[in-house]
Amino acid sequence: MKGSSMSNEIAQEPAIAAKDEAPAGIGRKKFALDRFVIFGAFVVLFILFSVVAKNFFTMRNVLTLALQTSTVTLMGIGVTFTIITGGIDLSIGSVIALTGTVAVIAANAGMPIWLSMVMGLVSGIICGFLNGIMVTGLRIPPFIATLGMMMVARGFVLTITNAMSKPAPDAFGHLGNDTLFRLSSKFPGIGYPVFIMIAVAIVFGFFLRKTRIGRYTYAVGSNEEASRLSGIKVSRIKVIAYSISGFCAALAGIILASRMVTSQPNGGISYELNAIAASVIGGTSLMGGIGTVAGAVVGSFIIGVLGVGLTMSGASFFVQQIAIGLVVIGSVSIDQIRYKKK
Amino acid sequence: MAEALLEVENVSKSFPGVQALDAVSFELRKGEVHALVGENGAGKSTLMKILSGVYRPDSGRIVYKGREVRFQNARESAEAGIGIIYQELNLVPHLTVAQNIYIGREPRSVLGYIDDRKMNVDAARILRELNVDIDPAIKLNKLSISKQQMVEIAKALSKDSEVLIMDEPTSALTETEIDELFKVIHRLRTRGVGIIYISHRLDELRHIVDRITVFRDGRYISTSDYASITMDELIDKMVGRKLENMFPVRRNAPTARKLLEVRNIVHGKALKGISFDLYEGEILGIAGLMGAGRSELARAVFGADPRDSGDIIREGRKLDIRSPADAIRNGIAYLSENRKEEGLAVKMRLDQNVTMANLPEVSRRFGIISGARELEATRTYVEELDIRTPSLLQVINNLSGGNQQKVVIAKWLFRDSRILIFDEPTRGIDVGAKYAIYELIERLAREGVGVIFISSELPEIIGMTDRVLVLHEGRLTATLRTADTSQEEILNYAAGLGAPGSSGAGTEAAR
Repeated sequence: MKGSSMSNEIAQEPAIAAKDEAPAGIGRKKFALDRFVIFGAFVVLFILFSVVAKNFFTMRNVLTLALQTSTVTLMGIGVTFTIITGGIDLSIGSVIALTGTVAVIAANAGMPIWLSMVMGLVSGIICGFLNGIMVTGLRIPPFIATLGMMMVARGFVLTITNAMSKPAPDAFGHLGNDTLFRLSSKFPGIGYPVFIMIAVAIVFGFFLRKTRIGRYTYAVGSNEEASRLSGIKVSRIKVIAYSISGFCAALAGIILASRMVTSQPNGGISYELNAIAASVIGGTSLMGGIGTVAGAVVGSFIIGVLGVGLTMSGASFFVQQIAIGLVVIGSVSIDQIRYKKK
Repeated sequence: MAEALLEVENVSKSFPGVQALDAVSFELRKGEVHALVGENGAGKSTLMKILSGVYRPDSGRIVYKGREVRFQNARESAEAGIGIIYQELNLVPHLTVAQNIYIGREPRSVLGYIDDRKMNVDAARILRELNVDIDPAIKLNKLSISKQQMVEIAKALSKDSEVLIMDEPTSALTETEIDELFKVIHRLRTRGVGIIYISHRLDELRHIVDRITVFRDGRYISTSDYASITMDELIDKMVGRKLENMFPVRRNAPTARKLLEVRNIVHGKALKGISFDLYEGEILGIAGLMGAGRSELARAVFGADPRDSGDIIREGRKLDIRSPADAIRNGIAYLSENRKEEGLAVKMRLDQNVTMANLPEVSRRFGIISGARELEATRTYVEELDIRTPSLLQVINNLSGGNQQKVVIAKWLFRDSRILIFDEPTRGIDVGAKYAIYELIERLAREGVGVIFISSELPEIIGMTDRVLVLHEGRLTATLRTADTSQEEILNYAAGLGAPGSSGAGTEAAR
């Protein structure tokens, strides 16, 4: 998806008399190449596991993989917004637990399912909004502000639940467990979460790439002072970015709770790190100003494929951790080496 | 004649698509200040990077103290005694002066930990030799830029450098600080250090330079004794064509219509109640020494810094300016002196930078940006301002300084700004590009834009403006008609001495 749109842009590049700056044009094509490399890595991994693990490349497994990866993907998309502004969001793992739990409590209190889920979403947006206010209004460094939120949200959800999971009404489970296009046991259908993930990726991908707020998000991360002096309301853009992160985490939290049909006050621990890893594998720069939704999606799926593939190849969960860690380090070092060569 | 210390013979260096250096030669003698001048892209920086071991030449040789050398990296050249002081200082703000000087090679005590006392004593000795008054134990960020530059020089000397390369060392300094620097350079010269001095400010060379070499488009053009060449000849050699004048002719006079009235701006100790008017089609200069409050005044008018009090009136209406967004909405634009830090989103593309302050203009409904309209707008300005770029989608980082400045100007022109505040618009820009910027400013004034032109280069102020405000320590000491004034008069007011000939300090001069 990303690769094709990139090449389109290159095709349209208007030729302006290039006199003294000839070598500069190369950087851009390399950039497009980087994107391709990440997607290529994903494809290679996929083929590799299809060969190594017998049941990897089956429709059922691929669908499960997409379903499982949807959570990390949603969080990865959200956190990418904050990273592009030059920040970070460490609170999303806790926000997942909080929002899912809020929705389950609301549903158990007799609210309609849809309304209880909206409650969950709102609670996530509030967490993100508060993160944004701390970062802009109080000028707390994002790492610290969201670290604080991570602890507060976790402590809050554990307090209101006494750290106990509670079952939700059966109807609460539809979102996470029902599928569309179910044909047979061979093709069990595509889960709703996968559609939600695709929709969110398209909407936020478009939003980031094509709208003013998206452009300002890059501008703020690329040069905050220049943005301010250009009349961009920097604080507003950051608050929006953190709110989006909270919203995406909330979606993930509700999906997770719905799949389990229980509240998960202890769920989502360290998920934020997977989401950040996914975003970074996808080419997002922690220095801000660089990153894409498509990258975050591919990054999430690299992590997802590694996890499922290694499990099916008989590797332990611990080995998966090592593998994902190495991929994060590897993908960023490739970026760095390329960058240095330039 | 002194012996040759460093000889560059027929050195070439190419990068993909560009011949950066084409068989250039250069010779530096002991105890000589040798200026290297040329427009951007002339190959000065490439040669410096070869001398300091960052790049390796494709062909040609470098002879240093009679022996051919091939530096593999920056450390080797530093150890051989070639010190380089980059335009952007390479110092650590949170460390002390001594720690900065000895960074990476701190003296160790017997037990292996850092011997701070020895370090401070040694640093103090070097600073004393330079005859500068800096406490080696003070944190670097407590020092002014010029003092920091002295520290950088001290650092180079502490490595027993015999060759010192200075890249635009005065670009961030005030007149008095420049004098200090020149004194140090004189002292180094008498000690036998060879200095390669790169500068765009040709006028300052006369104070210190012995010989001058010109590069153009990666080629060696000439070397002459400074005394035997005129400024005009020099510029001809640099640009390869005759520049009739340094500045474009002003072809309009300001109208009587006031675009902007600024009344009694106060901001802490930086601005102590400054008032002025700006007329339609006027170029209004702001002169003053570093710390006089020039940029502070501009930033206060633009809403970039808060102001304690004071009114900004646009065409009879009092403006409520509390942020840059407010100023921009009222047609005021500010082009910061720090292009890269404050003017451009350097990781972003050319088109994205041009439209940054006026995205609604290229947006459809719901805030969706139209790529086609964005490109069209960008193309218009790239052509109109003659921005040299391989592509409209070029990442800004890869453009030269002059072109980057044009991008910032394009951004504000696209925003339809009626009042443009230029803060040191030609800093770090080569002669040819400077002229283009001057022409552009002149044209803006002709089109009725009110231009505020802040500069620390007085020839620029004299050459470009209609009137000039002179600031001294946050006060307006004079408002002068440029046609009736001189550099000397401006300097007098800038130094707080009042009108030339008068004895009282800080005399207020009315318009």
